[in-house]
Amino acid sequence: MTRKFDHFAFLSRSREDPDVFPLKVRRSEFREIYKPYSQEEAADQAERCLDCGNPYCEWKCPVHNYIPNWLKLAGEGRILEAAELCHETNSLPEVCGRICPQDRLCEQACTLETGFGAVTIGAIERYIVDEAFKQGWRPDLSHVRTRPWSVGIVGAGPAGLACADVLTRNGVSVTVYDRYPEIGGLLSFGIPDFKLELSVMRRRREVLEGAGVHFRLNCEIGTDIQAHELEHMHDALFFGIGTYQPVEASLPGMEKGGIVPALEFLIGQTNHMYQLDIPGFPHINLAGEHVMVLGGGDTAMDCVRTAIRQKAASVQCVYRRNRENMPGSPREVSHAMKEGVKFEFNAQPLSLIHQNRKLTGLEIAKTRLVASNTGRARPELIEGSEQVLPATALIFAFGYRPSPPSWLETIGIATDESGLVRMDDHLPGQTSNPAIFAAGDMVRGSDLVVTAIADAREAAQSIIQYLEVKEPQLRRA
Amino acid sequence: MGDDTPVAVLSSRNRLICDYFRQSFAQVTNPPIDSLREAAVMSLETCIGREHNVFHETASHAYRVLLPWPVLNYVKYQTLLGLDQRYYRNVRFSLNYDPESLGLRRALENLAEHCVTAVQSGATIIVLSDRDISRDKVPIPAPLAVGAVHQGLLKAGERPNANIIIETGSARDPHQFAVLLGLGATAIYPYLAFQSINQQQETGALEGDPIQLRKNYRRGIRKGLLKILSKMGICTMASYRGSQLFEAVGLAPEVVDLCCPKVSSKINGAGFAEIESDIRKVSANAWVEQTRPIRDGIYRFMYGGEEHAYNPDVVMNLQQAVASNDWSDYRKFADSVDKRPTLAIRDLLALKPAAKPLPLSKVEKAEQIFPRFDTAAMSIGALSPEAHESLAVAMNRLGGRSNSGEGGEDPKRFNTERNSRIKQVASGRFGVSAHYLVNADVLQIKVAQGAKPGEGGQLPGHKVTVETPPHHDIYSIEDLSQLIFDLKMVNPRALVSVKLVAGAGVGTIAVGVAKAYADLITIAGFDGGTGASPLSSVKYAGIPWELGLAETHQALVENNLRHKIRLQVDGGLKTGLDVVKAGILGAESFGFGTGPMVALGCKYLRICHLNNCATGIATQNKTLREKHFHGLPERVMNYFGFLARDVREILASLGAHRFTDIIGRSELLEQLPGKTAKQQALDLRPILASAATRNQFEPYCTEASNPPFDQGRLNQEILAAAKDALERNEAWSGQFGIHNYGRSVGATLSGEVARLHGREGLQDGQIRLNLSGTAGQSLGCWNTPGISIHLEGDANDYVGKGMSGGRIVLTTADVHRERARRNVICGNACLYGATGGELFANGQTGERFAVRNSGAHAVIEGAGHHACEYMTGGTVVIMGPIGPNLAAGMTGGELFLLDPNGEAERYLNPEFVEASPLEEQQFDAPRRRLKALVTTHVSLTGSEWGRKVLESWELMLSHWVYVIPKNLAASNDISQQDVPLRLVKA
Repeated sequence: MTRKFDHFAFLSRSREDPDVFPLKVRRSEFREIYKPYSQEEAADQAERCLDCGNPYCEWKCPVHNYIPNWLKLAGEGRILEAAELCHETNSLPEVCGRICPQDRLCEQACTLETGFGAVTIGAIERYIVDEAFKQGWRPDLSHVRTRPWSVGIVGAGPAGLACADVLTRNGVSVTVYDRYPEIGGLLSFGIPDFKLELSVMRRRREVLEGAGVHFRLNCEIGTDIQAHELEHMHDALFFGIGTYQPVEASLPGMEKGGIVPALEFLIGQTNHMYQLDIPGFPHINLAGEHVMVLGGGDTAMDCVRTAIRQKAASVQCVYRRNRENMPGSPREVSHAMKEGVKFEFNAQPLSLIHQNRKLTGLEIAKTRLVASNTGRARPELIEGSEQVLPATALIFAFGYRPSPPSWLETIGIATDESGLVRMDDHLPGQTSNPAIFAAGDMVRGSDLVVTAIADAREAAQSIIQYLEVKEPQLRRA
Repeated sequence: MGDDTPVAVLSSRNRLICDYFRQSFAQVTNPPIDSLREAAVMSLETCIGREHNVFHETASHAYRVLLPWPVLNYVKYQTLLGLDQRYYRNVRFSLNYDPESLGLRRALENLAEHCVTAVQSGATIIVLSDRDISRDKVPIPAPLAVGAVHQGLLKAGERPNANIIIETGSARDPHQFAVLLGLGATAIYPYLAFQSINQQQETGALEGDPIQLRKNYRRGIRKGLLKILSKMGICTMASYRGSQLFEAVGLAPEVVDLCCPKVSSKINGAGFAEIESDIRKVSANAWVEQTRPIRDGIYRFMYGGEEHAYNPDVVMNLQQAVASNDWSDYRKFADSVDKRPTLAIRDLLALKPAAKPLPLSKVEKAEQIFPRFDTAAMSIGALSPEAHESLAVAMNRLGGRSNSGEGGEDPKRFNTERNSRIKQVASGRFGVSAHYLVNADVLQIKVAQGAKPGEGGQLPGHKVTVETPPHHDIYSIEDLSQLIFDLKMVNPRALVSVKLVAGAGVGTIAVGVAKAYADLITIAGFDGGTGASPLSSVKYAGIPWELGLAETHQALVENNLRHKIRLQVDGGLKTGLDVVKAGILGAESFGFGTGPMVALGCKYLRICHLNNCATGIATQNKTLREKHFHGLPERVMNYFGFLARDVREILASLGAHRFTDIIGRSELLEQLPGKTAKQQALDLRPILASAATRNQFEPYCTEASNPPFDQGRLNQEILAAAKDALERNEAWSGQFGIHNYGRSVGATLSGEVARLHGREGLQDGQIRLNLSGTAGQSLGCWNTPGISIHLEGDANDYVGKGMSGGRIVLTTADVHRERARRNVICGNACLYGATGGELFANGQTGERFAVRNSGAHAVIEGAGHHACEYMTGGTVVIMGPIGPNLAAGMTGGELFLLDPNGEAERYLNPEFVEASPLEEQQFDAPRRRLKALVTTHVSLTGSEWGRKVLESWELMLSHWVYVIPKNLAASNDISQQDVPLRLVKA
C-alpha cells in the first residue's frame, strides 16, 4: 500500500497545482476553476514536504494545522486519518483548502518556497477532506460525553460554524441562528462559486447536522427572535455576525449613479444562480458593460472575475499602489489577469464622468509610492498625469467596517468607537457580558476566514471553561 | 542542533521522570565501546531466580532462567509468572495509589516495605505494575518505584533473592528502559508500547505482521540499550543493572535519596510534591473523554508544544538581521531569545547592572572580542564544501577561528583565507596527516561531542563519513596525554584543545586534561551538536553547560591550573547575553555551531542526516549545493559583528572595561524565582559559588601555552641535525640512540617536512633516521613521505600512527633474529589512522594493529586482537599468529594471512569481509603483490622467517588466506589489478 518515501521528491518533482479548467470554460462558468487532484497527484505533491524540524507552515497558519503530519498521511494514501487530523485544528478544512490565501500564509512560509516552489498545501488539504467525505468519512464523535449545556450561536459564517464544531465535539448542544437560508454566511454568498461552490457548504451543513448541530435559518435576530430571548434560551451565547458596512468613498459625481455595491453584486449573483429568493439582493447583470472595480483586495478580485463571467464588455481594476503592495492573495490577481481583467496600478480615482446621466468614465491620476512611517508605502499623486478611463459600471471594493446591530447594546455587549466588539480580558472571546462570547470580523475587523475560525475555536474553549466554572449555578437554576 | 528544548525541570509542561535522568558517558577516564564492531564483548543476558553463594555448590544454583535481553514480550512475561512456584514465586504490586489518602513519598515507602516483606517470606519475582488504572488513583512513576524497591531490598540485604519485573506503560524508548534498568529493574514488560504497535498496524501506519513488528521493536530497544551501555564503556547488562549511571538535573534530594542515592543532583529541583502534582494533572487530563493525545513537540517544534530555542521566529529573525545588517533587526532577534520563556538554566540567572555603567567607548573594541569566538566543529562530510568554506572565510576575516571538524580538509584551502584555523582530530582520524596538522593554529581532540557523547555521528554512508566511538589510542588519561604530546611534537606552534561534554565529574577530567598539557578545553552542553545525532543521545545525554562549565572552572582554579589554560564553552549560544553569562560562569572563549549556520541560511530543518538539506548547507548533493546554497561569509560576519556589539553593550552596562573583568564574577548574577513550582524549587547557588572560586592567579588564562614537561629533546636534536638538509631539499641520514622515554620521535621532523614541502613531502628515502634501542610511544607518528625510520630494537605503542608516507622499519638485533617472529616488537594501536607509507616489522605487534588504516602497506609477523578494524585501504600482510575480531568493519584494502593452522576462520569477523585461499584467486596480481611485499620485508628487516617463507614460496602458497571486503570481492577490482606498490631500491 504505502510506497517507499523519496527524500528528494522536492528536487525531482516540481510544484504542480491541480489542473485548471480551460480559459474558455473559466470565463463563462460559475464553478471552481481547479479540478481535483487524483490520488497519485496528491501523493506525489505531498511527498515533496521536507518535514522540517521547524514547520514554518504550521507556525504561520492561524489555526496551526498539523500540515507536515497530514501531508505525510496523504503521501501514504491514509486519507481518513489525514482528514481526522485536519479536523483536529480546523473546523472547515475543505473551505480553507480552497479560499485561504496560502500564498501569504503556509505556502509562503514553506521552506521550499524559495528556490523550489512550496508544497501545494491548500490543494492537498482540499483533496484530503473532499476525498474523505466522498469515501463516507464523518467526524467520529462516539467518544464524546454529552454535557448538559446549551449554547446559542448567532451567525452561520466561518466563526459561528467553527464555534459550533468545537462545542459539539465537547458534548455541548448547539443551535445556530442565521438570517439567510443557507449556512456559511459570506462563504456561501460573498465568495463566488468559482472559488467555493455552494455545494461545499451544503455538504458541511449535512456533516454538522449529523454531529448534532441544530440550525435555525431564515431567522433574523431582532426581528424573528429577540436577543434577550436568546439569553434565556441558552446557557451561553456566541456571536459571529461579521462586518457588513462597506468603506465609503466620496468622489465627485458619485451622486449621479452608475455605482454597483460590491457585496450586493456578489450576493445577488449567488441568489440568482441558486434561486434562493433572498429579498433585497436582486441579480445585477453587468453583461455588455464596461466594468471598473476600485480596490485591490480579495473582494475586488471576486467582483472583477464575476463580471468577466457575466460577459461584461471590459473589466478593469484600478488600484492606488503597485501590484506587490496589493493586500489580497497574489494568486487571485494572477487568475483575474489570465481571465482577461485589465489592471490599472498606481492610479488614484478622482471623479466620475457622466454623459446624459449615464456613467461613461472615471478620471484618475497616476501615483508613485513614497516611503511612510507606517511601514507601508504611501501613494502620492503625480501632477499632470490625470486621464479618463472609460467605464459604465463602477464597483467600490474598499473593504468593510463594523456594523454592530443596535440590539447588541441591549444585551450588554460593549463596542469600541469604531464599532468593534470589546473583549473582556478574562477569557479569550468573552465580551463585556460574561455569558456572551464573540469572534471573527465583528471583533477583529475585516480579516481572513481562517483567522475567524482560529478566534472562534479559542472562544469555544472559553465558553466551555466558563460553563464548567458556572455549572453549579446553572444546575441550581 | 542538539536538543533545543528545556530540560525536564525547566519545562512548563508535564515531563516524564525519565527525562530528569541524563545518561552518563565515558570520556577520557575509560573508553566507550563500539557496540557494533565489537559486538562479541557485549551482552544483555539477564538471569531470573535467586542468586546463591558461588562457593557453595548446590542443586539450587540450577533454578535460574536465562533471558537473552531484559525486554519481555507477552509470552515471556506470562511464562515467567507461570514458572515453578517453589523457586519462582511471584507477588504482584500495583503502582497506582490514591493521592488523596497517601502522598507519593508514603506510597513509595509502603511499596518498598511490602516488597521487602514479600521477598523475606519467599517471593522471588516482584512484579510492579501500573496497569490497573482507575479514576481516583494515579500511578507512581515507574523509575521511582523501581528505584525505591531496589534500594529497599538492598538495605534489607534481600536484593540477590529477588528480581524486579516492571510492567509499565511508561517505557517506550531506549532511554526509558535504561533508566528502569539502571535504577534496578531486572526486566521490563512494556505492554503499552506493544499495544501501540498493534494499533498502528491496524490503522495501516505500520505494515507487516504484528508479531514481526513487535519483534523488531524489541530488537530496536535492544540495540538502543547496547548503545547506551557502550557509551559508558559497559559490556554487560549485569554490570549496568542498578548502577545508577545517570546524572539528575533538577531532582530534589528527598527523591534522589529514596530512589537513586548514587545519582548526582546538584541544583535541587522537583520534589515529591511537584512530581505528584504533575502526575495528577496528566491523570486528570487523561480521563477527559474528548481530550486527544497531546502532540508534545518534544523532538521538533510544534505549535502549543514544548518550547524550542530555535523556534521559527528565532530562525527567521536571525536571518532577517544578518541579511539587512540592521542593528534593530538584531535586537528583535536578541529579544526573541533573551526574553523567551525559561528554557535554559541561564534564563533563571539575571545580570545585575552596575550603578554606574560605562560609556560604550570605554569598553574594549570589537576586534578584541572576535578572537574569543570560534565556530564549532562541523565536518566537511556533514556540511557542503561551500558552507564549510564560508564559515572559514568569515572567521578568518574577523580574527576568530573556524573548525575543520573531523574528516580532514582540502589541502587547497591551506594558506588561504578558506583555511580552518582549528583542525580537529577525532576518532575516525579521517585525513589527519602531518600536512593537515601543521596547517592549524589549534588542534582540537574531540573526546566527546555534545549531542552524542561517547558516540559517533549518524551520517549515512551515502553522505560520506562513518564515525565511530572510540579513539583507539585513548584508553586512559595517560593515552590522551600522549596524543597531546604527539600533536605538540608535530606542530609545536599550535595550541592543543580537548573537547569534553558537560557531565558529572567533568571538572576532575578537565584537571587531568590540563595536567596532560592541553592548552584549551571546550565544555560542550547537551544542547550542542548536530542534527545528525541519534535521538536518544540528543535528548538524554550530557547536561546543561552552565553546570559543567562552573564545575570545570572551579576544579581548574582549585588546582592552580586555570591561568594556564583557556576555557571555552559551546552549546546553544545565540546572543551577547549568552556570551556574557557564560563568561561570568568561567569561560573566556565561545564556540558557536547553529547560530552561524542559521546566518548562512540554515532553516533548522533537522534533516541533516538525510543529505537533502534544501538550503544546500548540510548536503553533498550537487544540485542543492550549486543552485540552492546562498550562504555568504558576510552574513556570518554580520552575525558575529552584532554579537560583539551586544557583548560590549552589556559589558558597559556592567561597568566592565574588558571581557576578562567579568570572568568568574558570579556576584554579577542573581537567581530569578522562576514561574513554575519546579523552577522555583531549583537552587542555583552551587553554580554561582563554583564560578566564584579564587586562587592567587587570575581566573582566566594568562599564559601563552601550557608546555609539556617533556620537551622532546631527541626530536629537537634530530631536527637541528637535519634542518639544513630539509631546507635545501637534500638527502640526509643520521644515527641516534633511543630510550623508552623518547616519545613521538620523528614527529617534529615530519612536521617540518610537511611545513616546508607540503603534502607530497620529499623523495622516497631522502631522509633516513637510524635509531637503535627501545623507542618510547608513538615512534614515527604522522610520518611524511621521504622519511625512513629504521629502528633496531623494539618500540612501544602507536608506531606509525597517522603516518601519511615514508617508511618505518623495525628490526631485531642480529643475535636475536632467529627468535624474532615470536617476539612482540611493537605495542598497541600501531598504524592507527595511517593514510600512506609502509611499515615492516620483524616481529609481532600488539592489539589493534592498523585500525582505520586507509592506505599504508605493512608486513608484520603476527598481530593481537582487533587487527585491521575499520580498515578502508592499504595492504596488510600478517605472517604469523592473529587474534580475535580480525578485520571487523573492514570496508577497504586487503589482508594476507599466513595461516597454516586455520585460525583465520575462527578469528575473522565476517560481517564485512570474506576470506578465501590465496591459491584459488583467479588472477595472479594479489600473489605478485604479496611476494613483492615479503621480498621487501626480508631485504629491509633481514627477517629469518620471511626468508624461509620466500624460499619455500610454492610450498607455502596453500597456507595463505586472502581477505578482502565483500563489496570488493564481488567487483573483483582489487584482485585483478596490479595495484602499484612503491617498492624499495634495496
